[in-house]
Amino acid sequence: MDSNQILDEIRDINLSYMLLAKQMLREDRVSAMYRLGINQDIADILEQLTSAQLIKMAASNMLLCRFRFDDRLIAEMLSTDSRDQSVAKSHASILMAGKSAEAVV
Amino acid sequence: MRNKSIITEAKQIQLATELISLGARLQVLEMNTNLSRERLVKLYKEIRGVSPPKGMLPYSEDWFMSWQPNMHSSLFINIYNYVVANTGVNGIDALIKSYCLYMEHIKVNELDKVLSLTRAWTLIRFIDSGVLCIAPCVSCRGKFVVHSLEIHSNHVCGLCNIPSRAGKTKKAAMLAAIH
Repeated sequence: MDSNQILDEIRDINLSYMLLAKQMLREDRVSAMYRLGINQDIADILEQLTSAQLIKMAASNMLLCRFRFDDRLIAEMLSTDSRDQSVAKSHASILMAGKSAEAVV
Repeated sequence: MRNKSIITEAKQIQLATELISLGARLQVLEMNTNLSRERLVKLYKEIRGVSPPKGMLPYSEDWFMSWQPNMHSSLFINIYNYVVANTGVNGIDALIKSYCLYMEHIKVNELDKVLSLTRAWTLIRFIDSGVLCIAPCVSCRGKFVVHSLEIHSNHVCGLCNIPSRAGKTKKAAMLAAIH
């Protein structure tokens, strides 16, 4: 994959991510905030973005979303194929739900 | 207490309907709405097609301590606390939202529904009244439901230290025999 292609892919993912986030917030604000791991301030910012702003923001060489398993343990739980997958997934969900939301400073 | 406003009453009926369809018992409805008992019974029959179950609510706080219930209730309380802290929703609305999110987790991971809405409501009341509380696990740093009177400084959760008989219920054995 050459770098132009990577940039195109990044732009596509940025755009789909933000469109999905906006749609989720429109349909069910509370659940969307839990699923996205964001607080009210970020939800407000996302909701107020216009389409033109979205396109401008998406055209970047950096991804706008990032990994949520900022913890070796969660990454292991989600990826390893243990005997009881559902228990590991529940454990990971407990840890992820217990983390504080992304917030603007 | 009688409702004067029709709009308020409509909202209360809406709330009661939502709670009943999620499986709430009559006592939960009585505590969270101003509707009369007769109306609630009528509403319950209309939605579920049967009379509401009689008798006391499950009241044991020890239930939340056994392995599987503890996993489910800890997940629920983490979702609930997230919702209350970050989304600006609280009280019974937060309970409904977080219970729906908990049910979604159950569906996605094909688990059994262990925590009923009434149990979830009881759990929040136990935590508010200080019978149960949330303590971090020293191994995974996750937050888990524990007895308030126990010592939590060295708490290791049931998921980091899975007991040998965990999840080995009669039902699980029967399912294994079928496959």
